[in-house]
This record gives sequence, C-alpha cells and structure tokens, in this order.
Amino acid sequence: MSKDNNSAAVQVRKKPLKLRIWNNRGFYLMFLPVFFFVLIIYYWPMLGIRYSFYSYKLGKLTWVGLEHFKSMFGQKEFWLAFKNTLVISVVKLLLNTFVAVIISIFLNEMGNMFCKKFIQTIIYLPHFMSYAVVAAIFTLFLSPSSTGFINETLKNWGVIEKSIDFLHNKAMWQPIFQIINLWKETGWGTVIFFATLAGISPDQYEAADIDGATRLQKIWYITLPSLANTIIIVLILNMAKVLNIFEPVFVLYNTRVLEVSDVISTYVYRKTFLTAIPDYGYTTAVGLFKSIVGCVLMLISNEASKKVRGRGII
Amino acid sequence: MADNQKKAAEPKLHKKHGIKVFDVVNYIVFAIIALIVIIPIWKVVVDSFNAVGVYQFRLWPSDPTFAGYLTIMSTAKLARPFINSVVTTVLGTLVGLIMSTLGGYVLNQYEMPGRSAMSYFLLFTMIFSGGMIPEYLVMKQLHLVDSMWILVVKHGMNVYNLVLMKNFFEGIPGSLYEAAKLDGCSPMQIFYKVVLPLSKAALASVGLMFAVTVWNDYSTVQIYITNPTQVNFQYMLRVMIMDGDTPTTAYKVSQNTLYYASIVCAILPFMVAYPFLQQYFVTGVNVGAVKE
Amino acid sequence: MKKKLTAVLLCAVMAAGALAGCGGGGASDAGSSASAPSGGTVNEDGSFTLETINIIVDGTVTATVDAGQAEFVAQWEAAVGEKLGHPIKLNITQLDHSDYSGTVSRTLTTGQPGDAGYPDALIMSANMLRQYQTTGLLWNLKDAYDNAEFQSRVTLPNVNLGLRTADGAQYGFAPTYGNGCVTYVKKSWLDAYGKTIDDIKTFDDYYNMLKFFHEGDPDGDGTSGKTYGVIAAGYGKMDETPFINYMPEFWQGAFPSFYQKDGVWVDGFQEQATIDALARLHKAYSEDIIDPDTEEAGTKQAREKFFSNDQTTSEGVFTYWAGTWLRTLTDNMIKNGVEDELVQLPPIQEIKDTWGGYLNREAPVWVITDDQDGNDAREQAIFDALFETMLDGDVVQTLWTYGAEDVHWSTKAESFVLNPGTDQEKAYDYADGEFHLKQSPNDPNSLWKKNHLDSVLVIAPLTNGFVNDDPLIQEGNTFFTENCVDAPAAASCATLSEYEADIVNDRTRLMNLAVTGEITPEEAIAEYQASWGDIAAQIVDELNAAEQ
Repeated sequence: MSKDNNSAAVQVRKKPLKLRIWNNRGFYLMFLPVFFFVLIIYYWPMLGIRYSFYSYKLGKLTWVGLEHFKSMFGQKEFWLAFKNTLVISVVKLLLNTFVAVIISIFLNEMGNMFCKKFIQTIIYLPHFMSYAVVAAIFTLFLSPSSTGFINETLKNWGVIEKSIDFLHNKAMWQPIFQIINLWKETGWGTVIFFATLAGISPDQYEAADIDGATRLQKIWYITLPSLANTIIIVLILNMAKVLNIFEPVFVLYNTRVLEVSDVISTYVYRKTFLTAIPDYGYTTAVGLFKSIVGCVLMLISNEASKKVRGRGII
Repeated sequence: MADNQKKAAEPKLHKKHGIKVFDVVNYIVFAIIALIVIIPIWKVVVDSFNAVGVYQFRLWPSDPTFAGYLTIMSTAKLARPFINSVVTTVLGTLVGLIMSTLGGYVLNQYEMPGRSAMSYFLLFTMIFSGGMIPEYLVMKQLHLVDSMWILVVKHGMNVYNLVLMKNFFEGIPGSLYEAAKLDGCSPMQIFYKVVLPLSKAALASVGLMFAVTVWNDYSTVQIYITNPTQVNFQYMLRVMIMDGDTPTTAYKVSQNTLYYASIVCAILPFMVAYPFLQQYFVTGVNVGAVKE
Repeated sequence: MKKKLTAVLLCAVMAAGALAGCGGGGASDAGSSASAPSGGTVNEDGSFTLETINIIVDGTVTATVDAGQAEFVAQWEAAVGEKLGHPIKLNITQLDHSDYSGTVSRTLTTGQPGDAGYPDALIMSANMLRQYQTTGLLWNLKDAYDNAEFQSRVTLPNVNLGLRTADGAQYGFAPTYGNGCVTYVKKSWLDAYGKTIDDIKTFDDYYNMLKFFHEGDPDGDGTSGKTYGVIAAGYGKMDETPFINYMPEFWQGAFPSFYQKDGVWVDGFQEQATIDALARLHKAYSEDIIDPDTEEAGTKQAREKFFSNDQTTSEGVFTYWAGTWLRTLTDNMIKNGVEDELVQLPPIQEIKDTWGGYLNREAPVWVITDDQDGNDAREQAIFDALFETMLDGDVVQTLWTYGAEDVHWSTKAESFVLNPGTDQEKAYDYADGEFHLKQSPNDPNSLWKKNHLDSVLVIAPLTNGFVNDDPLIQEGNTFFTENCVDAPAAASCATLSEYEADIVNDRTRLMNLAVTGEITPEEAIAEYQASWGDIAAQIVDELNAAEQ
C-alpha cells in the first residue's frame, strides 16, 4: 500500500494544499462513514485498556496499578494458556500449510481435468462450515457412548475393545484438534498454492522432459521451488495472528483437558464470563498483554515480509 | 482468470507416459481423501432423514422421514434463529460491501491529501485491538449486547476486506476515471457509474466473504447475546447439540434426527451456492494473499 | 445529487451516533450512586410509583416466549395494575440456557441500577444468593417479608427463615420450597431383569441392576452391551447444591462441598466419604454402567436420551426431580412411542443410613437489586408489585402457578384429544366452570403442567381452589415427601465468594479425572488439598467463626 509517490501525485502537489483538499471534498465525505465506523468499533474499545489498571468488580472501579500484571505473571494457569496458544496455533499453521502444499502438488499432477476440478470442489467444502457445526459433527461422531459413530465403527471392525473418550483424553486432545482442523481447512489452504502452480511456465517442464527427468524429479526440482515463496508468505501472514485463536478451540475444549487446550482467549473468556463474580480489570489486563505480544508479532512479520517479497503485509 | 492459465499449462505436463504407477497411486490417494471429506458430510445428510438414530454409516436413510426438517420449520425456537441468521447475513453483507467499497475507493485516490494518514488509521486496527472485555463494554454502551444487530456491526467493517476491495479497484484502468471526470462526474457519480459496474466480480467475491463470516459466526453470539430471541442459527445449533437444550416440539422426532437436520440447515446455504460461486470464493483468496 | 445527499445523511447519522455513544465512555466510574430511582417516579410526598419492572428469570418460568409468555405478561400487567391502582409494565428477560449464573454476573457487572437492561428483580439459585448477598447489590427484604400481607397464609415459614444470615438480614425470597430428585427406573427393564422395585434395597442390589441394564438386553432388541445403567447431568454437580442429587446412590453420605457436620463446618470434598464415592463412580464408569455421555450432558440432554424413541442406546435409571417431573418424563416417553412406565426407587439402605432419604434442596430464590440510594421506596414498591402479588392466593398466584387463563388453563367447557390416531390417544372433556390445564402451547400433544410455582411446593397455597389433580403428580409428590430430608445449608463467607468459582471448577475437573480413572480418587483429593487446602481451611475457619 505504498504507492504514494507515483507520478500523478507529484504533479498535483504543485497546487496549493487548500485547493487540493477542496477538490477532493467528495472523497472525504465518502470516507466519513468508514471513519466513524472504525472509530467506534475499533478505536473506542482501546480506551477501555485503562481498566487493566483497575479492579473492576460488579460495576465498581478501584485503582490497583500494576497488580493485575503481577498476579497474571504469577499464575500457572496463565502461562499454561500462553504456551498452549503458541503450541496449538503454530502446529496448526505448519501442519495445514505442509499438507496443503503436498495436496496441491499431487493434485496438480492429476491429468484428468474433470477429476481434478471435482476433487478440488470436494476438498474446499468443509471450509464453508462453521466451527460450531464442525465441532458439533465431530463431538457426535466421537462420543464414547454407544451413539458414537467412530467408536462403534472401530469396535465393529475389532480395532478396539472399549470405547475411547477421544475429546476428554489429555494425550489425544491436541492431535484430534489438529486432525479436525486439517479436515476443515487444508482443502481451502490449497487454493493459494494452485494459483502459484498455474503460473509456472510449462517451458520449464518441457526442458526437464528433454533431460529425461521423472515425475518426482520434476516435482522436486521445479514445482516445489516455485512454491517456496508462496509458502513463506502464507507462513508469515499467519504467523502474526497466532495469538488470536479462539473459536476453533472454544468449540472443542472441555474442563478435563484444560491443561492442554486452554488458550489465552478462552482463558479470558472463562475468567470473565464463566466466573461468578469476575474482575473485568484482570481479564482486560490479560487481553492487553495478548494485544501487545500480537502487535510485536505483527511488526516482526511485517519486516520479514518486506525482506522476502519487498513489501510489508500491512 | 487463473483458470485460463491453468488450462494452457496442464496438457503439456503429462505428455510422458513413463510412470503409470504414479498416476494410479495418485488417483487412489485422492479418492481416499475425497471420501474422508465427504463421508462425515454424507452421514450427516443421511441421518437427518433417518427416523431413528443409526450409528453406523448408511448410504441411504433406512427409515426415511422429514420430521427433523418439519420440526425446525414449525418450532419457533428453531425457526427464529434461522431467520435471524438470514437477516443478519444479508444486512451484514450489505453494510460490509458499502463500507469496503467506499473505503477501498477513497484509498485509491493517490492525489488526495491525507490519504496515507487514512490508510494508517485503518491499518493500525489490524495490529492492535482493545481486547475482548473493552469491546464488550463498548457494545454494551451502544446497546448492542443482547441484540442480533451486533453481528451486522461487528462484521460490517472489516479492514482486510476493505484492502481487498482496494486491490480489486486498482485493476480498473485510470483512463476510465479521467473520462468520467471530464464528463463532469462527481466522485460519488464515478463510484456509482464507473467503479461499481466494473467490479461485479469483486463485489461477488468480497460479498461472499462477508456472508460466510456472518453466517458462520458463533462466538460473537456466545459472548454478546443471551436473549433467546436474538440468537442466530449457529448458536442455537451449538446449544442444542452440546448443551442438549432441545426445544419442546409438537413433532415426534428423534433427538439425533433433529441434530443432524439442524446441521444440514446450518451448512445448506453455502453448500448449495458454493459449487456455482466457487470461482468468486477462489478469486477473493488469491487477490487477498497474492496481490495485497 | 441524490447520492451525495444520501452520503451526507449517512455521515450525519454516524456522527450523531458516535457523539451520543462517546458521552458514556465505557463503564461509569467507581460506585457512582444512581441518581433518580429507575422504572418509576418519585411522588411529591416522597412515595414511589413503580411504572416498569425488569426481571431476569431462568427456565423455571415455563411460559416462555414460545409458550404463551406474552399472554402471561398481559394478564399479569392487567391484574397487578388493578391491584396497585396504576398501570405497570413487566419486562421479562429469560435466560433459558445453561450458563445462567455467568450471564447474570455479566449483567450485574456491566450495568448499574437505572440502565435499560438492569434487572429490578431476578431469580437466583441458593448458591448464587450466598455469593451475592455479601456484595451489597441485593436489597435486604427482611422487613418487607415480615410485614407482607401474604404472611397470614404462609404454611411453610421455615424455608425463608432459613435464608437469613447470621445478623438477621434476608436477601432472597423463596416462594416455594426446594424439591429434590428421586430415582426412576424403567419398569419393562426391571421386568427384564426379573425383579421388582422392592428387591432393590442396597447399593449392591442397585449396582447389579445397573450392571444387568448394561450387560444384558433390557430393551429386548436382541443385542446386549449397547444400553447403559444410568445417566445424569454430570457425575456430580459441583456448582449447584446439593451437588449429589443426580447420583445419590453413588454419593451416599458424601457431600463434596462445605457443610455443617454436627454443628461444625467442614470441607466435605476432602472427606473419606467423597473418596469412597469417587471410587464407586469410577468402578461403574470403567464397567460402562454409567453412560459416558454423563460427563458433558446437561439435564435436558440426559433426560432426552433417557426417554428417546431409540431405546437401544438408552439407560434404565435416571434420577431426576420429583412430582411434576414424573408426569413430564412419562409423557415424553409416551410421545416418543416408548411403551414403558417409570417406577420410583425408595432410597437405598446406604442413603437411609447416612442422610435418611433423598435430599430436599435449598430453594431457589427471588432477589431485588438495591439501587444504593439509601431509600427503600423503590425496592419496597418492587416487593409489593412482584412478590406480594405472587402469593396473593388468587389471580396473580394462579398466573405464576398455572400460567395464563385460556392459554395454559381454563375454566371453560372444552374437549380435546392428545396424540390423536396413535396408541396413546387420550381424550379430555371438561364441563363449564371446571378448572383444567390445556394443551401446551408449544406441543399440542401434551398437557400443560405448570408455570413457575409448583402448587404443591408453594409456601402459601392458592385459595381459589384451582388444583391440578393429576394422580401421577400427586403420587410423585407423596413419594418424595415421604422419602426426603432437608439438604445441608449452603455456606457463605467472603473468602468463599472470592474463590468459589475456581474451587468449583477444580472440583469438577478432579471429579471427572477420578471417575474416568485418569487419577485415583486419593490423588484427586491430594491434588485438591495441594491447590486449595489453605484456602479451604481459611473458609472453614471463617464459617465457624461466624457461627460463634
């Protein structure tokens, strides 16, 4: 978004500022609704950050200074949530990207255009289902009761003897969470790679054919390197948002696996909305901490993006 | 647009018939992947027409019934959230499109003084936010807590989509603007007569993104809305299945049939529309990520 | 030009909105006292005229928006307006989903007296009352209650006297006593087991019955092992007194929270009885006798599964509320085509030896919010308009007990048929002047049962002679009254209020871990003691000190 110094702008700058502003009055007017909307929805809440320094219980505000931050950094629960946030989101990001790359490469090798389109259409489907729906489906399927589709199927096949309580198992929760996410988002993740693959010049493959390269060699030496830049961009773009994860976890977690599933946003949610007499000041402080770390991550990603592709992400 | 390039690139890729095994394995693997994706969805659809809960996979309902759907239609507690979802999705998309086209159009006026200040004003919101609690308190002030209009307000302004729209608009040739300006058109007229008609694909693309977001939103409702008359369908579905809050109905319907029928209703709009609109969805992603 | 105008208008609207909104600037600052009392006007003589009343209720007001709430409100406004001599408006906010207490706390934290959505009165569970009564948000209604006009008709005074704090204040008003849960067994399953209800006398009898329900084929579908013994909403309900009432046979004498034992407060969660109970639950869980859906199930989910039309994955035993619920559960089974009836299991020996019977829980209460202006006029007006009329023995009490006239009940001649065209078809025929309940507004195939108040549990009975003489409900109530004892009173002190939510969450987590066998019951209690031992000790000290 840094096209300010294109030639047209330089020319116009000769006119006095007042005149230029007057000439653009129509545009300012058109921007007003956007301006107020953003001001109210995004900027006004920022004023609320001051509650981080207050105790805010049942409508009563008392100044406490940095107390909330002290108690936050001293809480085992908080650090657990912080750690889980990073682990869950980073694994999710890497796994989804990796599998999406594999799928797009091999689907691209498929000769039959109809089959290819058909499979693309199918694997994009789950993306349009909400997390609430996906969680509902998988909770029903994974139920340990005799109504659970997956447990009963595995029992019929003789794979297991006794139902497994998948979603309540500490060791299994994260892997299952990631599998469900793969099911939902990987197909859609391939979209961006297909666009890049479509842009690879066929000349390169022809040259490789002449050299007698095999399919796998062509994938390894031509396809994969062409995707490298896109992969890095996808990773960088999403790296900035790793702390924001809420809904995917919220719809699938439960008290028994809190230790491996509680993320910052769910921690804030529970502490604020599921506590009998909550301190909104404390949870605002946790939110502020998240915003600041998120901001730093975003700036780092921005710099990284500038290095990799010559322009920032914001 | 990407499609044309693809078609040109594809046929040449597979001239060599050397390794058949590769293709066979490839087709088999993708058949399995497609099945993994489709089986859960298929089971949901089949079970929604099945009168009794069947816990095995059935290709076809063993005891067909429409009771699940009839229940949803005839029970206010289920039908109302569906209508709320439709209304908020339509309005949210509309407001979203108005805001993002207006903003995207203005941000493309490079000779306008203060343009970069405006874009920083917008972009700052992408890197920093007040957080869940301050946002909640503001919405409370705006009397949007416990009201389904929160969905319209919360999703009506999306800076990412605004930038996306701006990128789309950049593709419109500058000469068209100049011509319109010479004809004496005001900025609003140019917007209305030149930009919007040339951006139908962009409007479809960004509009769909708004629609999917609003329709599928569950957490906003979970956080902000407690009044049962204001909730959307995603929330109702969640509460019904996860909290077992099944409403009293006049129909004799198995709990599972009702669950699965509700899931189908929740995914139906996009499942039906999506195969026809796939190109718009795809374009949106590519313009957003690649061009940005 | 038209477009420009539109744009300008749009902007103006946005700007106006922004300014109006910004005036508030988030939450108001520290404890600002509300200016004028809300929802009414102060008269020249200092008295107060209440014009609107906002209440927050849970699912126990069964006249929901989909089941005739509008008519209920209209008739209430008419009747109460006539009583008071001026019009009054009733706004009901009904939170009928699972997180009632969280939502109430959200409303009370982010709002203040005078705000549009702030409640004048609301329903609280016994637990919530203990948490909030120390916060100053609630009005001490002791005097209002003592001087209430309905006092002369009160037949069960102890319920409300029991709500009073050590210093005599009373922040909640209980129009009914609590009721409790009894254990229901499906008769056909019991028949398949080859026993009668009288054969089930001890925990071992009970356990063996459950075992058969799982391992045998009690539903007669030819397969075994798909059915379960029992289901409940949670193995224990750590956030709601009396905690153990959905699984009394397993918990027996344990009480996993603070309670008074021989006059001294203790933390029951740390007691051996709790460890034993967890061990029993774990054994049943590991043998698949308890439906594993129990852990996540809400009460609705549990009962839906119990009377589901698909009995092949259902359960034989369900412990649930007494009286009216016997009728509701039976009706639902009929509606779903389950040909069965329910028998009530008398308390097993182990329950009789410890508690003496099924626990009668502490009643949920109504509270009035205090606007903290030092003047009781508004609060007293709310009491008079809402609580006083709720027990007027006549028109308004009937509204709260049975619902709206000619919507939920009627005295006009009418006849109707339930479940027409099925085996369960049942015709009803009433003469003019005969009080009777009508078909449910949201389900024409079942009879309406009650609104908020249970006519059997209410502390001051109706005087107009309207009785729901359903024999099954009578039978259920008699059975419960004969087999119940009062549950221990909930604890209340400052430290407990502060930590209760966290303690309860942790107890739930540890209970689930212990029942599902990820840790042993002893480890669960040890972990609990490590995290909460000191705070629990402090709470026990505070409770005992207050007792002195």
